[in-house]
Amino acid sequence: MTLKLFTLLLQAAISTVGISLVSIAIGFVIAILLSAARLSGKAIYVAPTQLFISFFRGVPLLVQLLLIYTLLPVIGINVPSVVAAIIGLSLCTAAYQAENMRGGFESVPKGLIEAAEVTGLNPTQTFFRIRVPIALRLTLPALVNEAIMILKSSSLVSVVGIIEITKMAQDLASSTYLPIPIFLSAGLIYLVINWVIAMLGRYAEKSLAGTSA
Amino acid sequence: MMFDPQVIIEKLPEIGSGLFVTIILWAAGMIGGVALGFVVATLRRFCGPAVNLPLGFVVEVLRGTPFLIQIFLLYYGGPFVGLMLDPTPCGLIGLTVYSAAYYSEIFRAGFAAVPPGHVEAAECLGLTRMQIIRRIQIPEMALIVLPPAVNLSVILLKESAVLSIITVPELTATVSAIGSQQYAFLEAIFLLAVIYWVLVEATDRLGRLAEHRLARLRFSKA
Amino acid sequence: MLKKHLVKAALGAALLISTALSAHADALSKIKEAGVIKVGTETAFAPFDFIDAGEHVGLNVDFFAELGKDLGVKVEWVALPWDGVFPALEAGKFDFVAGPATITKARLERFKMTAPIAEATVAILKKAGDKTITKPEDIAGKAVGAGKATAQLAQLQEYSATLPKKVDAREYVSFNDAYADLAAGRIVAVANSLPNIAFVAKQRNGAFEVVTPAFGKKAYFGFIGKKDADSATLVEYVNAEVLKMKKDGRLGKMQEKWFGTTFDTPDEVNDPAF
Repeated sequence: MTLKLFTLLLQAAISTVGISLVSIAIGFVIAILLSAARLSGKAIYVAPTQLFISFFRGVPLLVQLLLIYTLLPVIGINVPSVVAAIIGLSLCTAAYQAENMRGGFESVPKGLIEAAEVTGLNPTQTFFRIRVPIALRLTLPALVNEAIMILKSSSLVSVVGIIEITKMAQDLASSTYLPIPIFLSAGLIYLVINWVIAMLGRYAEKSLAGTSA
Repeated sequence: MMFDPQVIIEKLPEIGSGLFVTIILWAAGMIGGVALGFVVATLRRFCGPAVNLPLGFVVEVLRGTPFLIQIFLLYYGGPFVGLMLDPTPCGLIGLTVYSAAYYSEIFRAGFAAVPPGHVEAAECLGLTRMQIIRRIQIPEMALIVLPPAVNLSVILLKESAVLSIITVPELTATVSAIGSQQYAFLEAIFLLAVIYWVLVEATDRLGRLAEHRLARLRFSKA
Repeated sequence: MLKKHLVKAALGAALLISTALSAHADALSKIKEAGVIKVGTETAFAPFDFIDAGEHVGLNVDFFAELGKDLGVKVEWVALPWDGVFPALEAGKFDFVAGPATITKARLERFKMTAPIAEATVAILKKAGDKTITKPEDIAGKAVGAGKATAQLAQLQEYSATLPKKVDAREYVSFNDAYADLAAGRIVAVANSLPNIAFVAKQRNGAFEVVTPAFGKKAYFGFIGKKDADSATLVEYVNAEVLKMKKDGRLGKMQEKWFGTTFDTPDEVNDPAF
């Protein structure tokens, strides 16, 4: 295991981190929209939301990625590898994040919502200013866990042509015949990235707790 | 591109055998993972820091790295250190160990959620440590543990698709191979999506049913 | 007189417009316009296509670099697992497939293939010094690996059916994984095309050995394009490039560089052996 091989793994880590972060961010926005749709209580919004969440939680990411990469073009949407990977990861994490947020939204005290309505906030304002901040604070630990899950899941995006840590490790292992040091190094890189995410999460939790006091 | 279900119908026996392998691996991985996870959680709680800290480290490593990397290391790295496993046993061990790390954390949270007062009361009554675990902690934990455990089982089923990469003849491997042989790529991907979706939905529903039953049982006892 | 000129001019204009219109859908013109040809491949097929210490190299890379120079465009590679390459070609993810792929009847029915760039006849790679396998039929009843969705796997399965005891054929995502398992000892042989396994045997100094003779039917490797009308000119162009490089000696040099030998390949394969 030379420095050169380790550097190559680190370079590949840039794709892993980049794709994961963008997907988590997009997934977060979609999850908020899904939550809004579900809280509306209207069947025309709730039913498709449930179907979406059920589908993306029910199908393995490997299969989702292939669906997006090779099935979307059939209906005229042809996306390059990076976009396919980001769409796949975003939709998948959106479903999980929406599930996590549900508990948070349900825990928002009814009194607060009524108070907001009495003070003249419209439903949209109530949603974004009262419900979302409170729900998020409650679900932050779950969001951090989900971020770590997505980072790990990104090890599958090589099936749509992305070279990230795992794919690079595979290529290096087969050209150098050193699978143990290479896969161990790849694992170490994932661990360090996840450790950083967990630290950031804890920091965010602390500072949010500070503001509520 | 036309959708041709005929291809799928002709290959039903093969698909069935792939599905069988997936379900067996999943069930065995789950049972093994729950058992091992429970042992790990119990050891970590009751055997002091000398056991807790190293086990905690192993659990963190297993939860912090992709399953795919773990499987590659076990399958392709193993033979270099004299650990030569055939694809299916390797996949089973991989699934068991990976899920045990997650199950152990679920059990740990379950232990922590049992009010210390209940344990103290049991101690006062003269129950032994084993009795306390069996009679007080496990039943009280079950309700807390069930929802995340069902969720994890669903994740485990989906992770088992990764085993196609080390030549385990499970569902994903079988169906995608049929897709390539017959040039029926879309049919294959579509079929995979539907089968997993149905399995996951069924598991979720069973889990919810069990939750209701358990909750009723508890209240009726009280 | 004037009238005749007008008619001619009108006809000429119409012709121009119609070619401009059709040029819009034509794959080759599109590539020239974009300045990029997208080539799909699998990077675990040494020495045609592999990653050497992080660098994408092989005969494919050399060939398409030359083609890019001739055409005046850049080459963009998309690397997928082999079983994902054909679905992605059909889905329009790239213009051409490098691979290369064995020219087979089934593939000709579905795709267009270029003139051969190398021989593809399938033989067996075993661990060096394995005395239990001295001829192809010795693999009967044993575990043998091959790549998923490959013609080599199909040849292995076909051959297996003729043996007294069926071969336990294992399907790997890539041939690299199969070689790793051969080294580990989970399988006793890998069935792949001669140029590939000869290269691997040489690379892994003395760990592997090729078992001769080849058991598969005589076959050749080619590059793959789509069969639709829009792709016709592109397929023709790549095919012409293969023949051109064969004639001017560039292909021979590449074969020499990657295989240490040259192949005597036909200019076209219309009726493959399987």
